[in-house]
Amino acid sequence: MSTRRFFPCAGGRALHAPTRRDFIYGLGASLGSVAFSALMAEETKALTSGGRPHFPGAKAKNVIFLMMEGGPSHIDTFDPKPKLEKLHLQEFTREGRQKSAMESGKRYYVRSPFKFIKAGKCGADMADNWTHLSGVADDLCFFRGCTVDSVNHPTAMYQMNCGNRFGGDPGLGAWVNYGLGSENRDLPGFIVLPEVSYPQGGAANWSNGYLPADFQGTPLRAKGSPILDLTPPPGVTQEQQRKNLDLMARLNAAHAAQHPGHDELSVRMNNYELAFRMQMQVPETLDLSKESEKTKEMYGIGKDATDAFGRKCLLARKLVEKGVRFVQLYNGSWDSHDYIERAHGNLVRGVDQPIAALIADLKQRGLLESTLIVWCGEFGRTPDNGVRGGTAYGRDHNPNAMTMWLAGGGCNAGHTIGATDELGMAAVEDKAHVRDFHVTLLRLLGLDDNKLTYYHAGRFKQLSQFGGTVIKKLIA
Amino acid sequence: MTLRSAHLLTVLIAASAAAADDKGEMLFVRRITPLFHEKCLACHGKDEAKIKGGLDMRTLASTLKGGESKLSGFVAGRPEESPIYLAATRKHGDWEAMPPKEADALATEQLAWIKEWIQAGAPWPDGARAKAIAQANEASWSKEDGVPIATSGGQSPEWTRRKYKPEDLWAYQPVRKPAPPLGHANPVDAFINARLPAGLSPAPAADRITLIRRATLDLLGLPPTPEEVDAFVQDARPEQAAFADLVDRLLGSPHYGERMAQHWLDVTRYADSSGFANDYVRGNAWRYRDYVVRAFNDDKPYDQFIKEQLAGDEIDPGDPEKIVATGLLRMGPWELTGMEVEKVARQRFLDDVTNSVGETFLAQSLQCARCHDHKFDPVPTYDYYAIQAVFATTQLAERAAPFLAAENTRGFEERAYLEKSLAEHESTLTRLDAVLLENAGRWFRENGKDPARWNAAVEAARQTPSVRPGGRRKSGNYSDLFNSARNMLSQTGVAESEFPPKLAGFTPEQFGLERVARKGLERLRWELDRYEPYALSVYGGRTRQYKTVSAPLRMPADRMDGGELEETCVLPGGDPFAAGPKVKPGVLSLLAPARSNRIPEAIEGRRQAFADWLADRDNPLTTRAIMNRVWMWHFGQPIAGNPNNFGSTGKKPTHPELLDWLTATFVEEGWSLKATHRLIMNSEAYRRGASHPDRKELSAKDPAGLSYAVFRPRRLSAEELRDAMLAATGELNRTFGGIPNRPEINPEAALQPRQVMGTFASAWVPNPLPQQRHRRSLYALKLRGLADPQMEVFNAPSPDFSCERRESSTVTPQVFSLFNGQSTRSRALALAHRAIKETSGDDAALARVFGLVFSRAPGVSELADCRAHWSAMAAMADAVRPAATKPPLTVRREAVEENTGEKFTFVETLHSNADFVPDLQPDDVDARTRALAEICLVLLNSNEFSYVY
Repeated sequence: MSTRRFFPCAGGRALHAPTRRDFIYGLGASLGSVAFSALMAEETKALTSGGRPHFPGAKAKNVIFLMMEGGPSHIDTFDPKPKLEKLHLQEFTREGRQKSAMESGKRYYVRSPFKFIKAGKCGADMADNWTHLSGVADDLCFFRGCTVDSVNHPTAMYQMNCGNRFGGDPGLGAWVNYGLGSENRDLPGFIVLPEVSYPQGGAANWSNGYLPADFQGTPLRAKGSPILDLTPPPGVTQEQQRKNLDLMARLNAAHAAQHPGHDELSVRMNNYELAFRMQMQVPETLDLSKESEKTKEMYGIGKDATDAFGRKCLLARKLVEKGVRFVQLYNGSWDSHDYIERAHGNLVRGVDQPIAALIADLKQRGLLESTLIVWCGEFGRTPDNGVRGGTAYGRDHNPNAMTMWLAGGGCNAGHTIGATDELGMAAVEDKAHVRDFHVTLLRLLGLDDNKLTYYHAGRFKQLSQFGGTVIKKLIA
Repeated sequence: MTLRSAHLLTVLIAASAAAADDKGEMLFVRRITPLFHEKCLACHGKDEAKIKGGLDMRTLASTLKGGESKLSGFVAGRPEESPIYLAATRKHGDWEAMPPKEADALATEQLAWIKEWIQAGAPWPDGARAKAIAQANEASWSKEDGVPIATSGGQSPEWTRRKYKPEDLWAYQPVRKPAPPLGHANPVDAFINARLPAGLSPAPAADRITLIRRATLDLLGLPPTPEEVDAFVQDARPEQAAFADLVDRLLGSPHYGERMAQHWLDVTRYADSSGFANDYVRGNAWRYRDYVVRAFNDDKPYDQFIKEQLAGDEIDPGDPEKIVATGLLRMGPWELTGMEVEKVARQRFLDDVTNSVGETFLAQSLQCARCHDHKFDPVPTYDYYAIQAVFATTQLAERAAPFLAAENTRGFEERAYLEKSLAEHESTLTRLDAVLLENAGRWFRENGKDPARWNAAVEAARQTPSVRPGGRRKSGNYSDLFNSARNMLSQTGVAESEFPPKLAGFTPEQFGLERVARKGLERLRWELDRYEPYALSVYGGRTRQYKTVSAPLRMPADRMDGGELEETCVLPGGDPFAAGPKVKPGVLSLLAPARSNRIPEAIEGRRQAFADWLADRDNPLTTRAIMNRVWMWHFGQPIAGNPNNFGSTGKKPTHPELLDWLTATFVEEGWSLKATHRLIMNSEAYRRGASHPDRKELSAKDPAGLSYAVFRPRRLSAEELRDAMLAATGELNRTFGGIPNRPEINPEAALQPRQVMGTFASAWVPNPLPQQRHRRSLYALKLRGLADPQMEVFNAPSPDFSCERRESSTVTPQVFSLFNGQSTRSRALALAHRAIKETSGDDAALARVFGLVFSRAPGVSELADCRAHWSAMAAMADAVRPAATKPPLTVRREAVEENTGEKFTFVETLHSNADFVPDLQPDDVDARTRALAEICLVLLNSNEFSYVY
């Protein structure tokens, strides 16, 4: 099968085709008429198509997804469990064929080393080391009811990011772009800001899966060239590249004249011109140096603990401003099996100020309403820990309980939905499978999971796999 | 109307129309009952615990009672007031569209049935009456409604009795050999031309240059050399004879097997690593890859190919080739970590192998039947588990299998680099052991405890050969006194509080380094298996329990006795801990009535018997499936549009007679794929040009491009692009098979840190020598966790799913990769260098470049254009001279240490980079060559090079 599209598409069609003016300014004068007519054809096609949401009233247009990879502990962040104070260090044993090696054997309960406060007017539970985020507590909607199926990192990551535990399915950002299209033709609609090291499961976490390649998440690398081979090797000038492109356009035009029925040719030619433009635009977009000192300070840029994630959060705001539909930020690893006080303490310090700044910044720019922010990991953590040659006060993986929160985008801000049991072992109120969370996320964007389907391998596939239920309490 | 009066009305109407031929009742039995079952009951009655919206549609009473809306499900006689009808129309403001999924929406006809039934008073005959009505009308209905299919039976009688449209069952019908329409020498043309739209004439034959390029790329995945092109163009014989010879020559080339293997490995999901959290290297996978290459080159009859891959170990356990062949069953991603429940992991393997066998051989997705009877096809859940039971005694192992003479076992000396890494990790652990012993001393001082027992334990450990350097131990050769002492004390019952905790006093850096080294040793165990005579394989035996699998598994001596004899049962909802009825090993029951095969229940022999059934000459799915694939490999599109899915949701064949004729002929002639290639390629249809003289007529009469009136051009696959460039520059190393090589990939991607469980995967380090790097793409190490970005961007499929057909999308990162990336620039330089070296004079050099890249001479104006470009570039050529970069000898990794949340860094040594010999560099050639390289770069990026016509 062949697809003939650039980056941003909706339901398979470009939303905002280039205008004729782009064409004249953007392309070399020597490009043949074949390319011109193809571009015109694209434009006409685009005007007759649309990536309209299924529910027109939805507020969220963009998503910033803060993926705390490794599994943050709900018990030590947003879901206090005072009962653990009493059970602290009490030992017990767990066995059984339905248990993994990690869950089995001698275990002991662990109290949280963090103190909790009631934050904001809504009185949200937050560990007191969220000193900045607690200032925007009333903008957050906490959800304690989510459960997932997998207790292992890559499979749980795949499920949170792609709906399917086993990898290979399209990522959330791919689905959202498939449903809504992108508003920036020269930037990918699904951008990922990974840590320097890729998470477990790798790039499959932002895969286009069975959707066309256009919907693949583009990682903007934290170090080195943001997009691989975005620019030619040093020493190659723009003039040289332009001349090479012009020679290629002439050779391609002659070739196309001999293959008049083969319309993929012009699409491929245009692609080279688009790439030439992107080469200049992308670095400009990524350049944070023009932001005011005040803004940079607000995000914690320049401070050791917060610089890295602060930059990501600021860039996420810029990308959303440019019309990038879905930006996913990675932070981690939150996989604190041992010494959770130190580990989670440092991790919270790294993200607290940048995230609070992002929310405040979007709000002051009037973008919070249309930008849905999601904070979550792939699962939560257990109230107890395994005795693995000593007690080290950490927690193991827990697919049955976690805390995630939403902000902006029409979510039910200022509320805490759902609850876990008194130990934080499992969700008990407003319990919902992660597929319901996915359906809700789409719903906030005006998309209907049951309509956002793609035919592959013999059936219509969807993000939630087999359909799910909107968690209405998460929506304002 | 109140609920009560609605009910009353229904009863009245029902009572008034009690005749046996009542239209409403007949409609109910014939249409409404099955429709409710198919579309509604899943959420409205089948599972009482999961009834949605409170509406239970199993009975008249419960339907009339309605759901949460408190309104009756329907109002007899008034469809426009009936919620179930209104919801099904999907257009009513008050009622949410049902069924919820757009793809499940009722067809217009189905909607009309509901309307008509409600208008007729919505009669709801009871069970006995419904049965009587069904029996009375059976003969006349089945003629119109489709045909029932006998299977082992579904989970509900409705499913078992379900009827199918005959056209959806085409693939299950026996293959009959139709007589080709008269008037054509080649039956392929007879069938193709018979279906040409009336008045559409086929395009004339392609020219000879196009033909040899098409055929060579098709069969070898490589372009023809300019000399081969000349020889074919100048062959004075009639085209048909010359072409037939060409096809024979290509089929005799050993590169043929490599090309076909690429197709086959796409379907079977080949990779050199296990995926998921660890992505451990599968050191021995390459032997299966080479087995596939050999099988195609030897034209191994396809039935034998099937049997060996499914049951080679049962057919002849003494033949290493047969052991290697079963690598097929290991192709899916799989691992077992301590975080996963063993039984769940085992079930993942069983589900994977069951579905993959269905897709690969039968073109029948079986996965759909894992949790429920297949929604569309006659595949009951029972069959899914019956086929799964065939594999219930199949166990994973890296089995001993001596290397064969046919295998390429050169290059094993590269293990020396891995051994350097091994030694490095060992010395790290030895160093950290000393740190821990020192920390232990401090611990005793600080805690005021007596170290005497501890010191004695350390001393005792020192005397134990396996825990000091130089001693032999499974996990490596390093000092482990601290942990041994802890274990000794712990085992003698000393309280944990009396000796130092594990990893006592480590800094974040040391925590990190310890883990990196320990996991590094574990990872190397898998990688070093590459050079050992083992095969990624399976054995028949009882199922053993493992907590984790962190080293290659060997076949146990007590395979028939140790562990549990797995009994397969239906797993409701696919849940490995739910136990439904027991199931015996079996086959797809819809095909079984005609067959006598019985799958034995003994531990061994199940797969062999199953393979015999699969590869039976009368199995219509297996035989059609492979012919459909071969056709697609030649024409870029299959006859039936979904090569992995012949079921009712797959696309129907465009030329069913042709598919059957090919299939019957293939089986008659001994399952020879080479014979099939000859037959297809020597047809006129294959030799047609890619442009039609009358484009208007073509697009009017064949808008979907399914007539084969023209040949369909295709873009080179990712592998072909790379291989064709290496062939053009003359750098291609044409060696066959052997351990995977590591080409240079984008250097940033190569060094991109990648988390695997507890540590980082090692960097991508290219082979040191150009000839090692420049092997065909088939042989490049394929890691699930790290795809070569250039391959990925040109649609090389991810090995997570079986790829039935390559995509060829056009996306911008392709340009970055091909136009800016180092590898094309290196090829361009090598090509310029070759062209200048092999010719004299500018025009000759340019002609050579055109010949090598396009298989043709440049035109007059092209030549002039290129000459001018060359001069222009020569004037700037000093700029095109990026300094040669040496690959790094070490790479610094930064990570967040998970115990502490602190950043730590470690240095990975890239040992083989010390011996790295770069490809030809800009500095190695003169400015004229560098300038010509710019033209080569343009040509390698051009459309003409990227497409085959």
